[in-house]
Amino acid sequence: MNLDLGGPGAGCSSMRVRRLLAGELSGVEKERTEAHLAGCARCAVVQQEIAAEREALRRDVPFPQFAAAVAEKLAARPQRSFVARWAPLLAAAGLALVAGTALVLRPADTEVTRSKGGGAAQLFVQDQGGVREVAPGEMLAPGARLLLSLQPGGHKRAAAILLEPGEASVVYDGPARSGTLPEAFEWTGQGEATLLVVLSDSPVDAKSIRSAADAPRGADVLSVTLRR
Amino acid sequence: MSVVGLRVVTGGRAGEVAGPGPLAPAGLLAELYETHAAAVYGRCRYLLKDDAEAKDALQDVFVKVLHALPGFRAAASPSTWILRIATHHCLNLLRSRKALWREQLRMVQAERRQETESPDRRELVRLLLAAAPEEAQEVAVLYFVDELTQAEIAQELGRSLPTVRKRLREFLACAREALGVTLEGGDL
Repeated sequence: MNLDLGGPGAGCSSMRVRRLLAGELSGVEKERTEAHLAGCARCAVVQQEIAAEREALRRDVPFPQFAAAVAEKLAARPQRSFVARWAPLLAAAGLALVAGTALVLRPADTEVTRSKGGGAAQLFVQDQGGVREVAPGEMLAPGARLLLSLQPGGHKRAAAILLEPGEASVVYDGPARSGTLPEAFEWTGQGEATLLVVLSDSPVDAKSIRSAADAPRGADVLSVTLRR
Repeated sequence: MSVVGLRVVTGGRAGEVAGPGPLAPAGLLAELYETHAAAVYGRCRYLLKDDAEAKDALQDVFVKVLHALPGFRAAASPSTWILRIATHHCLNLLRSRKALWREQLRMVQAERRQETESPDRRELVRLLLAAAPEEAQEVAVLYFVDELTQAEIAQELGRSLPTVRKRLREFLACAREALGVTLEGGDL
């Protein structure tokens, strides 16, 4: 029995189709590829596959999540020499490597109760300047989108609550997933607000939390102040 | 409980604009995303067969790209360059879980002995990569998946044409042995 594994055909190449669609071809090569595509069923399939790839990307990894995750991974690499070398390029990319913006970790319990203490979180903002980690004391722009990224440190449940004077809003209440939360959010208030992130092994009653003291025993509570 | 001061962005997952006025993603990363991320994500999904792993790999690949921007800018074909990084990254991940990869290949071998329907051509290539030596794996992806000619592969890798041909023969020999069938793979 024969099996055909494929390979480049006469005039057919999936990479050439990609390059054409990416605007990398010019002159005779571009004309030749365009002419070939017009009558090639095999390359038409490739075009369909490329369109399906774009759909999958937009469905599974929209740009804000992608940019926040890349910024997070870049920020997680403690390579000063790299930062110094590439800071201008990263600024061009709309990414800023900002040190010292990890949220303040405050164990919710007394010292008697063991706290895992392994939880951490980062808050990213997307505004007209691109996507970056929120800097300490940063004034948030109107319409800025915020995206929270969790490192649960072994905890099972997570909740994020935005506290404003006289108001509390649940941003997230669910499994303590690692990485960015599925939904970005906007803070539309003025002045100051506190975002509390609770990482816990037991269920969290997010609606009842007004301060770190309301978190379940053994939970890690992280806090960041939002300003506008 | 009030939600006056807070608005969850509906469609935040889908990347839709939430606030008043567009938040145009500016800069190089947005450009890279628009032009290349779909192909990279497609390559990661194809090789890793796991959407969660593919998402993670996609981010890792672009971190690598941002670390190697001079190479990206100097590449004759940015698309080829960036997909090579993605392929290399995913092949490394697959090698690290080689046992599972080989088990998948064994399942295909068993299915072939039972004369069931032929697996998808590219899926078969993916599985056969597990049987091939490391040096032949990238060449096989460039030839059978990206459909570069042998001359284009030689140029891309900075290797001689005979070396590329040798790697492809190695891949096909491993594939034949793994499946016990005759394989067509171009004029090698």
